[in-house]
Amino acid sequence: MTSKMTVAGLSAWYGPKKAIEDVSLDFEEHATTAIIGPSGCGKSTLIRCLNRMHETVPKARVEGKVLLDGKDVYDQDPVSVRRRVGMVFQKANPFPTMSVYDTVEAGLRLNGTRDRKVLDHAVKGSLEKAALWDEVKDSLGKPGIGLSGGQQQRLCIARALTVEPEVLLMDEPCSALDPIATAKIEDLIFDLKKEYTVVIVTHNMQQAARVADYTAFMYLGKLIEFNRTRELFEKPQEELTEKYITGRFG
Amino acid sequence: MPERAERKAFEKSLNELNENMVTMAELSELAIRKAIDGLSRGDRSISEEVFTLDQEIYGLQEAIEGTCVDLIALHAPVARDLRTVTTSLKITTDLDRIGRYAKDISEVALQFQAGPPPGLADLVKIPKMAEHTIRMVDTAIDAFVKRNADSVRNIMQVDDEVDRLHDEVFQEVVAHMETGRLPIAAGARYILVARHLERIADHAVNIGLRVVYMVTGETMPRIRAADRSKRSRG
Repeated sequence: MTSKMTVAGLSAWYGPKKAIEDVSLDFEEHATTAIIGPSGCGKSTLIRCLNRMHETVPKARVEGKVLLDGKDVYDQDPVSVRRRVGMVFQKANPFPTMSVYDTVEAGLRLNGTRDRKVLDHAVKGSLEKAALWDEVKDSLGKPGIGLSGGQQQRLCIARALTVEPEVLLMDEPCSALDPIATAKIEDLIFDLKKEYTVVIVTHNMQQAARVADYTAFMYLGKLIEFNRTRELFEKPQEELTEKYITGRFG
Repeated sequence: MPERAERKAFEKSLNELNENMVTMAELSELAIRKAIDGLSRGDRSISEEVFTLDQEIYGLQEAIEGTCVDLIALHAPVARDLRTVTTSLKITTDLDRIGRYAKDISEVALQFQAGPPPGLADLVKIPKMAEHTIRMVDTAIDAFVKRNADSVRNIMQVDDEVDRLHDEVFQEVVAHMETGRLPIAAGARYILVARHLERIADHAVNIGLRVVYMVTGETMPRIRAADRSKRSRG
């Protein structure tokens, strides 16, 4: 297994409240890792530590290491880390006043690219990778918020891909989508891992089982079990994992 | 994580599955006991009961398959629940086959005239083989009911003994036919009975190995006796 990212002894706080405690795991390159667990178990906090988003919350802090290609992201410029480790959120959040085209090119433009040919090429490429090009190619000038929920989420994925990240973090990307839009995003995750390393937080265990190569189960801020997805769902090693995934919790 | 109400409905279906599995297993074991009893006593009414049992076993198999498909479609079971459902689906076929072989033995028994069948009193190996086979089925079923993997881990070795007895029955029957003490037609039927018992024991092995998987998640490959002894020597 080649690790793209490694988390070692990671703990994170919101003020005095410890949200995750001493978590260590590896994210394999060109694979999808799912993080599952009940609400408040720290799964979203964990991925927000991977691209230094956690520290944007007031009084939040982190201890431990997060390595990207062997180098600690906390020793690097957070903006460059976030360029390499992109993120897609639970609720699609296209820029409210921007067109489809402008939304996708925003990342590149903010980084100083002005060449129209380069931008056109990048926008088309990202929309194609996000499996949205065919649906929006004739309406690139229309507002992004006019698209359906599933299309908006793919638009946000396209936006994240424009800056050519190496890792894509997805925080419950399908929780607001219907089964058809969900299936499209899941197909997309399958394609994306050929080029990227994907980490997905999901409440939907069947989704984890469908899309992920590896699954991590978290509970009360701790990593309880990390294993190949098939192993974790067929033969979990920990009693707590078994109880959670079979619904015998509490 | 399934919702509480969904979990309740799921538990109810799982319990129903387990109850049907236990009944089916008990009926299959009863079918062999009656088949052997009917044969050795030459009691046609006992042999005929096996036909009814076989029908009931088949009906249960269909019901169990339906429950398993519902459980998978509606509840997407995982972990131990998943292993219970898939194992039940597989074991149900083994139990159905055991019922069929019991019926086949009864068919052989009914080909004899009423009363003790010819020459069986001299054939000591057949009752011994039947006793071993029934014990294997009983152990495998008990392991399923009690979710006890340890009691069936050595079931392949127990099956070796049944296979050995199968060979001995063949030798014994042929020897008795050669001396003329046993009519050829009767001898041929006993060889068939031994063959059915040997197959029943194989199904008991399947059940045992699947119980190990269901309880522990560990898959135990089925290895032929000859290969097993090679491995233990190597």
